[in-house]
Amino acid sequence: MNVNYGEMQKMDRPEINSDKLKHETNERAKMSALPQHKAQVSLMSNYRKKASTSSEGRSLTQKQPNELNELLLAIARDKDRKAFSELFNATSSRLKAFAMQCGASSADSEELLQECMLTVWRKAHTFKPQSGSAITWLYTIVRNKRIDMARKGRHETVQSDDLWTEEGGNYLEDDVSSELEGKAARKLLKVLPEVQKQVVFKVYFEGKSHSEIAADLDLPLGTIKSRLRLAMKKLDNVAKEQMSYG
Amino acid sequence: MANYHPNDELLMSFSAGQLPNALGLMVACHLDNCPACREKVKTYESLGGDILAECEEVEVSSSLLDKTLAMLDTVEENTVVPALFEEAANEKLSSIPKPLRRFITKDYDDLEWTGMSKSIREFLVNIDDGQYTTKLFRIKAGHELPEHTHEGNEFTLVMSGSFSDRTCDYKEGDFILADQSTTHQPRASKDQDCICLAVMDAPLKMTGVFGRMLNPFLR
Repeated sequence: MNVNYGEMQKMDRPEINSDKLKHETNERAKMSALPQHKAQVSLMSNYRKKASTSSEGRSLTQKQPNELNELLLAIARDKDRKAFSELFNATSSRLKAFAMQCGASSADSEELLQECMLTVWRKAHTFKPQSGSAITWLYTIVRNKRIDMARKGRHETVQSDDLWTEEGGNYLEDDVSSELEGKAARKLLKVLPEVQKQVVFKVYFEGKSHSEIAADLDLPLGTIKSRLRLAMKKLDNVAKEQMSYG
Repeated sequence: MANYHPNDELLMSFSAGQLPNALGLMVACHLDNCPACREKVKTYESLGGDILAECEEVEVSSSLLDKTLAMLDTVEENTVVPALFEEAANEKLSSIPKPLRRFITKDYDDLEWTGMSKSIREFLVNIDDGQYTTKLFRIKAGHELPEHTHEGNEFTLVMSGSFSDRTCDYKEGDFILADQSTTHQPRASKDQDCICLAVMDAPLKMTGVFGRMLNPFLR
């Protein structure tokens, strides 16, 4: 074969950039300046208080995966604002943390978080618990919104809807038999040794090329490539193993 | 089904949302027709879920939930119309893969191809991208390109038809990465024109005599 499937020399930089984001808050500022319905707001505050007490100390990792599923299903089915508030309280601090890890400021991260939650409200009906976990579904939303926020208003630029054209913004729904997630314990990240995780994080959060990662970590390029390759092989094996139980 | 695929590194970067450009669109087009790669993307998205779940929590402004709740009704009103437009546009352009429909707005036969030679025509796809140039190439049935190599990486996705290159045959859906070490001379199959999407980070460099003459037109 005369085709080289080898490593790429360059990959793309993460596009999020606080300067860009700052210019694009006008519309949102207008929206939040709309007069709010007082009764509704105080009702919401009650929901929020209740939700925070009930979910105290048990956000995400402690919350059973099916609790998040239930919340999403309630939002989809009944447009349930209480469920929405609970989901917000259970996931917002990690969604914000994810955005910050990608290089966004605290303020921009909250804007991104808000965009994500509004998308959750709109698209909850596209979540299919049988084909993927709630947290992975949320991940695809924060991933997509991160791309779109940095590019808003630039029509000729690629948007997440171009990349993920399926409704729901991911490919999770296309295999009904997959038990990759759902009841199975989350173990993809757990199978990776620290040194491999470190490289994988750089790919997810920073979109760095192999040579940039090597420079960052002050390690030879070959080491980075082999760590990433080992990580992917392991992930592949775990995924296959879990599928065969499905 | 495709025989040649994006490598795992590319699929992971795609799943991480770190290929938001021409190359990302190309991977998305390949995924449209490749269940095996979709499966890998699912795994990497699932890993993304793990990573999100493991993020160390940071404090969120206490007013954000109420602000967000107050916006929910506004959000709903804005969502119906664009979807309808999208559907109408999709129907007209069945031969263009979905990810490219905003960028290639006509069917292949209606595009304004520009000629480089009798055997190959090109169409520049206007995607705002700091790193890559994106083009469609249309190789006439049975014709071949001058032998060439690449100064940087060139990614090719076969959109329709097929071509051969020394020992390999590439058909619809195949994803091919060529770099500096690749010298090749693709030839379209005899039965139909071959249309490829090419994403390149440097101009082609012709190696043969004929190639050198043609090269300026390729830029």
